[in-house]
Amino acid sequence: MKKMKLFFCAIALMLAAPTFAAIDTIAVDVGISVFQTMPIGVVPFEEEGSIKWTNEAPHLILTRDANLTGRFEAVPSDKFDLVLFSKKRARQYVTGNAAKLSNGKIKLDCYLYAAETKDLLLGESYTVKPYDVRQAIHSFFDKVVYRLFGERGIATTKLAYVSKIDGMKQVVISDYDGFSRRQITRDSSINTMPVWQKGNKGLVYVNFRKQRPNLYAITFGGKETPLFTQYKQTFSPAVNPKTGELLFSVTEGAKTEIYRGDMKTGSAQKFLHLKSNQVSPSWSPFASEVLFTSDRGGSPQVYAVGKDGTDVRRITYMGHYNERASWSPEGDRIVYTSMDDGKMNIYTCALDGTDIIQLTSNAGNNEHPTWSPDGKLIAFASDRGGNYQIYIMRKDGSGVTRITNGTENTSPTWSWFFDEKKFK
Amino acid sequence: MGKVFKLALMGTAIALFAWGCSKEKPETDPQPKTAEAPADSSLNLDALIADTLSADSLARLEAERLEAERARLEEMINRIMLEDVYFDYDRSDLTENAKRLLAQVAEILVNETRFIVTVEGHTDARGTEDYNISLGARRSSVVREFLIAYGVDGSRLMSVSYGKERPKVLGSDESAYSKNRRAHFRVSIANND
Repeated sequence: MKKMKLFFCAIALMLAAPTFAAIDTIAVDVGISVFQTMPIGVVPFEEEGSIKWTNEAPHLILTRDANLTGRFEAVPSDKFDLVLFSKKRARQYVTGNAAKLSNGKIKLDCYLYAAETKDLLLGESYTVKPYDVRQAIHSFFDKVVYRLFGERGIATTKLAYVSKIDGMKQVVISDYDGFSRRQITRDSSINTMPVWQKGNKGLVYVNFRKQRPNLYAITFGGKETPLFTQYKQTFSPAVNPKTGELLFSVTEGAKTEIYRGDMKTGSAQKFLHLKSNQVSPSWSPFASEVLFTSDRGGSPQVYAVGKDGTDVRRITYMGHYNERASWSPEGDRIVYTSMDDGKMNIYTCALDGTDIIQLTSNAGNNEHPTWSPDGKLIAFASDRGGNYQIYIMRKDGSGVTRITNGTENTSPTWSWFFDEKKFK
Repeated sequence: MGKVFKLALMGTAIALFAWGCSKEKPETDPQPKTAEAPADSSLNLDALIADTLSADSLARLEAERLEAERARLEEMINRIMLEDVYFDYDRSDLTENAKRLLAQVAEILVNETRFIVTVEGHTDARGTEDYNISLGARRSSVVREFLIAYGVDGSRLMSVSYGKERPKVLGSDESAYSKNRRAHFRVSIANND
């Protein structure tokens, strides 16, 4: 029943964006378009006693979340300031109280207020260890998004990517904003192409320890298992968002083809029966179709095919190198990487290949785009700053923000939503 | 703590062992030993010396033969491993230069049947990881096919792809790219003798 409600909600939102405000008790005069951002006031928390924050104070985390998630524009203010908020059209603001408890934990009371009336729109309380403050604030922020937009937020989602640690490529995960980084692989060969298992239980990635590319699965806090060992060389994993089933590339001799396999049983079979080479499969949001790259036309181009492997149609025609297409979670667009004059850039297009929009230009190489699970943002790797780092931008290419630093970081993949159960 | 110490001890032991091993190799070279043979005193000494000398010289000859053989194999392996086969951008067909080099490699492999060769396909840094693995696979495969056509037993030839993961030269200009678009040989010796 709840699922139905959400579904109708989503339909209503899609069909009648302008009337969306009517659903809410407060006036929200922006549409759900990501291109328009909603100003929101951010006021520092009242602190009881002196609290030493692990990295940032709560209002700074909220400011970053507001700006980075692509929906808001933070209006920071030292205290509640109706004049400023009115001037900047911030109709709501967030703030809270923080207190250090005798057991070392921190109690956070987080509030969302209507600026003009000071009506409390949302209140959440968290008692956490100092290190977990960031997680708690992200969690509150997602509730703010849900309260104001009726949609799930991405502040609690994560990224997996490849980081050069002591000269070796290792798979790491972090919060979507680059904080709380955790190393996942620790061996001395190349690790790359991480993707998230269904339900964010772990990752699937490629490792070269046998001196060839092989897929492995790892469960967080658990052990690593080799996948589909009946094939010599496997890579390009893509997880089915509905069933968890895997599409991946298998290389035998000169030929590379896409297979589909069950991670649990290890059984797999050929997915496509084409003469060409195929890499980079990507499922549509409801797993009804698959995108992939094929060189059947003499150069790598993006194609779509039904989930049963039939009815192939070509998507990209412009240029000589279009690769690594990925379907928006909103279902309406495709993001992919295109190479021109030896430089990689990120583009989106409609499902039929028309309406091409170039998102990056004149800033080094930009590659490996991955959608946020709400479809509002795209994370990618770029060497625009000298070496490769992970960046986030809105789906229209605006608001580019670097979220990693240090040695090389590449190949980001965004997690699924973490609160799947709550929203079913 | 104890574990760490033990590990450290083990490490030292291994290092010492490795050092010892590497020290031993030159000792198989028998030349210094012959010089040590005492030359004076005692009655039967002449006969004794003649005996040891002939035994020594036999051992020396054998050691020299093995050494020469080892050096010959090493030289061949180095010749194969140092030379990479280069490709044009986004291509996996063999250039004339590549074919000349491969003919030499094939000649060695046909004559030296103990060599087991893995052909690694590599690409330059441009393009995606995924497509580059498939491109590297095509390169290593085309090299393997050439060697087979020349008469090398296919069961001794493996082909793998590293895509753009293991560049030989760092850099983002054509001079670096052209050195990274390559097929590289890894040689091991089968111990079936």
